[in-house]
Amino acid sequence: MTIVAEFTIQRRQILDANAVLVAPLPRFAEDMGEIVKMYSAMTRVRVFDAKAVNLQRTGQLGTYPSSLGHEATHVGIGAAMQPEDVLAPVYREYGTQLWRGVTMREILAYWGGDERGNDFAVPRHDFAWCVPIATQALHAAGAAMAFKLRREPRCALAYIGDGGTSEGAFYEALNLAGARALPVVFVIVNNGWAISVPVAHQTNAQTLAQKAVAAGIPGIQVDGNDVLAVRDVVGEALETARHGGGPTLIEALTYRLSDHTTADDASRYRAEAEVKQAWAIEPMLRLREYIKRAGAWNDDRESALLQECSHEVDAAVSEYLSDEPQSTDAMFDTLFAQLPDHLHAQRATARRYTAKRGGPSS
Amino acid sequence: MAQAWELEHDAAVVVLGQDVGANGGVFRATAGLQARFGADRVQDTPLAEATIAGMSVGMATHGLKPVAEIQFMGFIYPALDQIINHMSRMRYRTRGRLTCPVVIRTPHGGGIHAPEHHSESMETLLCHIPGLRVVCPSTPARAYGLLLAAIRDPDPVMFLEPVRLYRAVRQEVPDDGRALPLDRCFVLRTGVDVTLVTWGAMTLETLRAAAELEGEGVTADVIDLATLSPIDADTILDSVAKTGRLVIVHEAARNVGLGAEIAAIVAEHGLYDLQAPIQRVAGYDTIMPLFRLEQDYIPSARRIIDAVRVTLAGP
Amino acid sequence: MSVFRLPDLGEGLAEAEILEWHVQPGQRVCADQPMVSVETAKAVVEVPVPYAGTVTALRAAVGDIVATGAPLIEFDAGTVVGTMPATVEEIAPAQPAADVADVAKASAEPVPRDRQTRLRAVPVARALANRLGLDLSGITGSGPAGLILLDDVIVHAGLRSAPAPRPSVIPSTPPDGAVPEALRGARRAMAHSMSASRDQVSGSTVCDDADLHAWRRQGDYMPRLIRAMGAACRVEPALNAWYDSVNQSRILCKHVDLAVAVDTPAGLIVPVLRDVQGQSLDALRSTMAAHKAAAHRRSSTPEELTQFTLMLSNFGTLAGRYGVPLVVPPAVAILGAGKVRQEAVVVGDAVVAHHRIPLSLSFDHRCVTGGEACRFLAAVIEDLEKLD
Repeated sequence: MTIVAEFTIQRRQILDANAVLVAPLPRFAEDMGEIVKMYSAMTRVRVFDAKAVNLQRTGQLGTYPSSLGHEATHVGIGAAMQPEDVLAPVYREYGTQLWRGVTMREILAYWGGDERGNDFAVPRHDFAWCVPIATQALHAAGAAMAFKLRREPRCALAYIGDGGTSEGAFYEALNLAGARALPVVFVIVNNGWAISVPVAHQTNAQTLAQKAVAAGIPGIQVDGNDVLAVRDVVGEALETARHGGGPTLIEALTYRLSDHTTADDASRYRAEAEVKQAWAIEPMLRLREYIKRAGAWNDDRESALLQECSHEVDAAVSEYLSDEPQSTDAMFDTLFAQLPDHLHAQRATARRYTAKRGGPSS
Repeated sequence: MAQAWELEHDAAVVVLGQDVGANGGVFRATAGLQARFGADRVQDTPLAEATIAGMSVGMATHGLKPVAEIQFMGFIYPALDQIINHMSRMRYRTRGRLTCPVVIRTPHGGGIHAPEHHSESMETLLCHIPGLRVVCPSTPARAYGLLLAAIRDPDPVMFLEPVRLYRAVRQEVPDDGRALPLDRCFVLRTGVDVTLVTWGAMTLETLRAAAELEGEGVTADVIDLATLSPIDADTILDSVAKTGRLVIVHEAARNVGLGAEIAAIVAEHGLYDLQAPIQRVAGYDTIMPLFRLEQDYIPSARRIIDAVRVTLAGP
Repeated sequence: MSVFRLPDLGEGLAEAEILEWHVQPGQRVCADQPMVSVETAKAVVEVPVPYAGTVTALRAAVGDIVATGAPLIEFDAGTVVGTMPATVEEIAPAQPAADVADVAKASAEPVPRDRQTRLRAVPVARALANRLGLDLSGITGSGPAGLILLDDVIVHAGLRSAPAPRPSVIPSTPPDGAVPEALRGARRAMAHSMSASRDQVSGSTVCDDADLHAWRRQGDYMPRLIRAMGAACRVEPALNAWYDSVNQSRILCKHVDLAVAVDTPAGLIVPVLRDVQGQSLDALRSTMAAHKAAAHRRSSTPEELTQFTLMLSNFGTLAGRYGVPLVVPPAVAILGAGKVRQEAVVVGDAVVAHHRIPLSLSFDHRCVTGGEACRFLAAVIEDLEKLD
């Protein structure tokens, strides 16, 4: 009997939970200004996220999935990507999206039930939020195929949740990417829970990263609460892909500190002790400690940042709340490039029976 | 041929599917293309229908025009997630920011002694999806012209190719790059006594029935629907206004088949022109049988003629 | 002052129970600070303060179950909170298209077509013509573009002299450009109950007068009328009943719950006086006054407007002598009282002037006999004519 294949999965970390460096600093991290920039971005998304939850609780936003706890993974990836790359999100990665230019107002519009939220002013080429689980992985692979065929130095990056790694589309996307050496990076955000199902019930695989082995592509784990490591690992994978080295699967380990969405109550299935433990190693804590120790941060700057974020969030909320609602024409106008004949009558009917009072309906 | 034309004239077109490359497709629809245009533009995909549909979404939203093949309609179901949840609504849900100019070709219908699951007619499932066009040609010439139109259309199109037509019909088709219009019926034959609406391979039986009826002095308008969604209602209504009688013929099962939608349209907009109830001649509401019973399932010219006679008989 | 209502806390939840308030009236609050903990069917939810301001009132107490959309807390605040659009059931129906024909035309929306047409006929007309052996081409169609309608065939066949009158519909543009007003509230309810009356009841009416010359003082007729009806129900209980035409059964009601018509600016409101038999005139007077006041204030509760066994309409306070009041099912009777007037009556050999009140008793003849109705009326008259 001969062994014909083996695999190993590494886990990478640079800044541990106590804010101690356990690996050499990557180039970008030598610039403290860059780290402060990432810290600010993480703060910004956390402040926005808390407000969004409150908006739902006061009847001003629909069901909303919070990104609490994921800031390091999301911002680290945003910082690692190039503007011309393409992001295929799931529905929680506001940190990455805000970094790439999606606005708070667009995020609120989408979860507030308005399709215009998907019409990002910037970046025009990123995929929109994707609810059918894991289907976005194939979209990212397809975009990567387009880049490859056109010989463009661009990559696609797809997020998947730990739950999503059970879906067929996930495996198909890995397989395709490997078989065709596509410039795509898949990032599994393993936050421990797929609504109420813990990862241990999702799969028998010891790690999620090793699902890469089946597709013949590299798989690697990273501490998802360590923004330096995330940016480093993802940055490396993107460069590999960009230069024709093919795809990578990255598993970022973190924890979903919030409920799955505002329609969920995680206290029904999670132990308080576990959540408390997770809070102790959450990403903002260690990064704040690190930049404070380095003399690049203090309480005054912290309050100033929180105030600034608050104002920005309040302004965005104000815009969102005062946005003119869409007319019923919106149901028809972008269905096809040109509205087919039989829909003209339906559009007229919809105008007559509009449910809104005083809303625009021509 | 249409694919070759578009591959040549539009650098964004990429043909993909299982066995479309070296093998030229199981119905030889893509024969010779890979040799001519290379493996980047004519790609064999892994065996995964969701992959074919999902990667087409990714490619189409980023500047390419994928022309994908699903090997048989019976295998389209894994792809429906991508077709329904993404392909058909990409333009709509991003308010036009991202669009999805994809064509998915797939063989349609039975009648060629194929193995199980290879003879399905599920166009109703597809026609019900908003944002999706569904086209079904009835001859090689119209297949050429309509496929060109489909590939050139900026929105997603399901292109259903009747399997019987691959082999049963031989036709000279000039390779002139001329597209036929989408969203329009084709009137294959004219008459004054009854309107026969059909599509795909059933046009063969329908035309045969019309010819035989003419021998008895009954003349028929035979209308090839061609674009199954959206339906060109005007052509049908104009014909019914003239004839007063309507028979709809389709191979797909009767229950909630496309014939029901056409009948509803005529009942709504052409009721006062009707002189007799509308008749539907359709497949039975059973599973498509294996090929020993196939010919008993697929509507025959005889069944169509009898339906016409019912409309002429009066109450 | 703005009222914040309980939002939908999660995809269609209908209500929540108040567990604990974190603010109190008089307190100045900021947006997002904890406001109240509520328990829904799914979870305990913390609802934050929606906007900065001063709390003026808590509209629910701990332990209360509050329906989604019901008032939760009041603020004294300037800012307006945007809200998620209501669910479909909450939205009042949109103004209907002005006219039936308009809707039919609009939904058809035919594109103008050049068509060579045969005779166009409604299928049922065509079928009837067939049965009667009539040639459609000899029939003139009165429908749009010469469409042959059923009535055209019927008239042509001599089965009826003229087409049946079609229900009239207000044309979409009345001559003076007035705008149609949708019936709401009391007017809408009246249209509904009077339609039911027309459709279901076999009404009959008997009239008579009561002589009030024995009264020490004229006036204050309402309590006497109510008392009289209560008394008459003892004599003839058949008029204090509910009739079920579907099951062909009736219930002789134990108590007399008398609905009394009140004319208000908003329309006809009919509050119900419960169990009027045996009540004193004073009690009846004050109850009636309270109901009348509530009706004018439009604060009658739903319970006060339903479940009556008998009805009274004292239209004489305005004008009118006899009338044909309409029975509202499932009740089987209604008494109408006209204007009290002095009339010349014969007493013995003399003609004298007496105050008399005209009475009109309508009853549902499916359930009440003429004899029962007249005995009831006689009893009403007897009680009214008593010294008071």
